[in-house]
Amino acid sequence: MSEKKLAYYPGCPSATTAIEQDMSTKAVFEKLGIELSEMEDWNCCGAAEAEDPILVYALNARNLAIAEKDGLDIVTPCSICYYNLARTDKALREDEGLRAEMKDIDSSLEYKGTIKPKHILDVLVNEIGMDELSGKVEKKVNVKVAPYYGCYIGRPSETAFDDPDDPDLMDRLIELIGGENVQFSSMKTKCCGGPLMMTREDIAFEMARKVLESAKNAGADCIALACPLCGMMLDAKQPDIEKKLDIKVEMPVVYISQLLGLALGIAPGKLGLNKNVVSTKEILGKVI
Amino acid sequence: MIKTWELDANFRNEIMNEPGGEHLSACFQCSTCTIGCPIAEIVPSYNPRKIIQMSLLGMREDVLSNPDLWICAICQTCTARCPQDVRISDLLAAIRRIAEKEEEAGKLKVDSVRPLFEKAFLHQLEKYGRLFDMGLAMEYYKGKEGGSFIKGQLAMMKDFKDFGMRMFKKGKMGPKAMFPEKVKKKEEIEKIFEKVGEKEK
Ligand code: SF4
Ligand code: SF4
Repeated sequence: MSEKKLAYYPGCPSATTAIEQDMSTKAVFEKLGIELSEMEDWNCCGAAEAEDPILVYALNARNLAIAEKDGLDIVTPCSICYYNLARTDKALREDEGLRAEMKDIDSSLEYKGTIKPKHILDVLVNEIGMDELSGKVEKKVNVKVAPYYGCYIGRPSETAFDDPDDPDLMDRLIELIGGENVQFSSMKTKCCGGPLMMTREDIAFEMARKVLESAKNAGADCIALACPLCGMMLDAKQPDIEKKLDIKVEMPVVYISQLLGLALGIAPGKLGLNKNVVSTKEILGKVI
Repeated sequence: MIKTWELDANFRNEIMNEPGGEHLSACFQCSTCTIGCPIAEIVPSYNPRKIIQMSLLGMREDVLSNPDLWICAICQTCTARCPQDVRISDLLAAIRRIAEKEEEAGKLKVDSVRPLFEKAFLHQLEKYGRLFDMGLAMEYYKGKEGGSFIKGQLAMMKDFKDFGMRMFKKGKMGPKAMFPEKVKKKEEIEKIFEKVGEKEK
């Protein structure tokens, strides 16, 4: 990767429910010698709840404009933030009228389209690249992993950066660090139910159950993922799902940045591995 | 049975004029969207293809009052697979917004708590510029309990007692979670909500 500095868009859960993702992302980039400079005064992307596209564009135009002032590409660890930033970037690049409309709302929304928003997985594999990463791997993370991509990484096509049906960026990282990918193809890109968690818990739990049980049946030691909403659903809510549906899963769920961090020789505490709800102790025992 | 005299020939235009609804008429009813939908797998009645067909026919009332509109997980699987680029996920959102407007005008009762949740979410965003989980949960539960703060709090504690403790123990519900993080240039966020709101009217 040529640039050694990126604008960092942490997203709202970074200080609370997904703090381990934030910690591990920062630790990994520090170790790789790439500076993450947190965007000044960023705002929420609208998540899955802002359904009006114009509102999504306005919220994200402000964020894009902040990074553009510094001339930096944006990296975010959240798939939903990424999707909202990327679709706004695309819509504004293509539509002069929309750009004018944004500027008309407020001058802080003036975005010219000279930078790019990117997802952390895309930056790691496609920008930094496997060669550079493999040179920095210090430890073997000998775990069986169910790589779970969820939505927005492989779809929709305008913003996707991996295959819609059988994405493999995470699979490649897992192989690189000495892990093994279990048979998980049919579940990789299935929605975790997160957007329905607060309004239709029954459906959301059933969706999450399918992902969790498939990983278990495939013999995985853990699920790896790259989105805080998936993390909320599959990890933080796992005990609730077990209780409600009367099942036992006990499946550790980690962010891919945490697994990669272990391979780079970063201390587990710095990667927030004590913050995941389902214990990650067994994974730590497999780092050699 | 379709009551032809109740059809609204303009409904398709109404949807296609709503951002996200533009591609409605391209649908050729192949069902690809429904076959791959994770919700259709779980809820037998759920059928995005049918919602589209009914919209094209002009069955306005039936479509807008269909409770299934509110259980789409916006996962984009249908959008990614549709051979006609109908963009079903965004299209359903456009139909939901029409239904919400109808409800605001007192013409329809939406059979879902989802609008309440989304409004509470956006309200947090408007106030702080960032999501404040605690404030969101409080406002949403208050709304769900018919506007009673006390009842809302009790219902919320019942639903989230275990979860809250779990998060607290992991240091995810500490002081940082108790107070909202705020965007400094609040006026810029306020402008967005004010102006986008105006445009919609
Ligand atoms: S996949 Fe597209 S064309 Fe086929 S039924 Fe669904 S919306 Fe219509
Ligand atoms: S976006 Fe909605 S309708 Fe489309 S596949 Fe996902 S849940 Fe089904």
